Amino acid sequence: MKASNLAAVPPRPLHACEKHNGEFIQLRDVYKSYGENLVVMDHLDLDMRADDRLVIIGPSGSGKSSLLRVMMGLESIQGGTIRFQGKPYIDGNARGKGKPMDNTLQTQVGMVFQHYTLFPHLSVLGNLILAPMKVHGLSKAQATEKARALLARLGLESKLNVYPSQLSGGQKQRVAIARALMLEPKLMLFDEVTSALDPEMVIEVQNVMLQLAEQKMAMIIVTHDMHFARHIATRVVFCANGKVVEQGHPDQLFTQPREPRTREFLEKVLHLD
Amino acid sequence: MNYQFDFNFLSGNFGLLWDGLKVTLQLALVSNIVGLVLGFGLCLLTLSRWFFLRWPAQLFIEFFRCTPVLLQIVWFFYCVPMLFDVFIDPITMGVLALGLNLTAFNAEAYRAGVQAVPHEHLDASVALGLRPWQSTLYVILPQALRSAVPVLMTNGISILQQSALVAIVAVGDLMYVGKSIATEAYRPLETYSLIALIYFALSLPIAQFVQWLERRQDTALAR
Repeated sequence: MKASNLAAVPPRPLHACEKHNGEFIQLRDVYKSYGENLVVMDHLDLDMRADDRLVIIGPSGSGKSSLLRVMMGLESIQGGTIRFQGKPYIDGNARGKGKPMDNTLQTQVGMVFQHYTLFPHLSVLGNLILAPMKVHGLSKAQATEKARALLARLGLESKLNVYPSQLSGGQKQRVAIARALMLEPKLMLFDEVTSALDPEMVIEVQNVMLQLAEQKMAMIIVTHDMHFARHIATRVVFCANGKVVEQGHPDQLFTQPREPRTREFLEKVLHLD
Repeated sequence: MNYQFDFNFLSGNFGLLWDGLKVTLQLALVSNIVGLVLGFGLCLLTLSRWFFLRWPAQLFIEFFRCTPVLLQIVWFFYCVPMLFDVFIDPITMGVLALGLNLTAFNAEAYRAGVQAVPHEHLDASVALGLRPWQSTLYVILPQALRSAVPVLMTNGISILQQSALVAIVAVGDLMYVGKSIATEAYRPLETYSLIALIYFALSLPIAQFVQWLERRQDTALAR
């Protein structure tokens, strides 16, 4: 798809991108590197409001996925601080490990991955109720009821007792989203969740994400699908070499990028689409 | 071949054969219990993050994998009493040698099972807020055991076959009884054929079951 085609998407309100002083998430001077040469978060500052849907774009190795993995507690940072919902969440300067210090806050973050991560030995229902029962202490009946309601909302109620191997790729990702939603997260992280899918299945997963967007779920999305990025984002963040090069409202960033580096990237990816 | 088959002499020896079979089954069963339990513990040691736990466990496995079972049996039978000044009855000694051998092989089967669980599943467990012991118990182990079961069962059948080696140290198992009958009656062909048939009949159903399990898993775990 060419850049000119994207201009056809109706403009969205500008309120979210104008204000960057987010209280929901604050990254300050966050530093993370793998070894000495690969710096994936280079003294990164980033803010997010509770009604933001942040889409992070950028070339491979620019630290997009690292940001999500750090927020989820899968990887540690080596410097800087992250606050979540106004509370200290991760401290890279602390002597500890630069990982989430507050378990309660951590369980308010949900994540969906690129590769299917449904547990193959458990049915769809088993996948959905495992964490609510073991982490939140719900009874089996309560968790099952919740799972039923959630699957019905996503049009998957008939798959309750099916095993993941019997689902299509799109259905697997929708169940993975449902599994994350079971814990009622305040923030959802999506790490290239449609990259491994056949084109016809991409839409069904994106529709679920749009449904969440309508319900004002705060999200950070890493994607290579620029059309979808423009459609769902309240703010697009372009990262390169571990730094935020430019951020703004999708209409502005995709049509009139301020930075030459952003323009160069967009020209490349949009012409390739 | 001008040979007159005669199975009649065996009829007087059924009692002996039955006793031998019981010893063989006892050896195989107890070795399998030892191997399944200790093998799991040994596997956990090899996966430990601490070198001082991992290293001896690995050495144990390599020792049993890199020496002949026959030698292990003979060594246990002759050297353990000398080194530790103990007398242990031959069947227990056989179980010890076979069981520890199986422990080493089963530890590797368990380990392969654990390592076959995709790393993403650990990430997903963290994302779901499961504690490390919870993801081990509810996510890693069930998957690891499923993929390890066919290998564990195959190992179990091999130990049944290899149990025949304890005949060399005069444990009265099926092989040993067979050898005595064959020598006494001068009828090795009939005796050893019958013994072979018994081992075959014991192993075949298990081997078939393993194949069925593997086929079922291939379809169930197809991602």
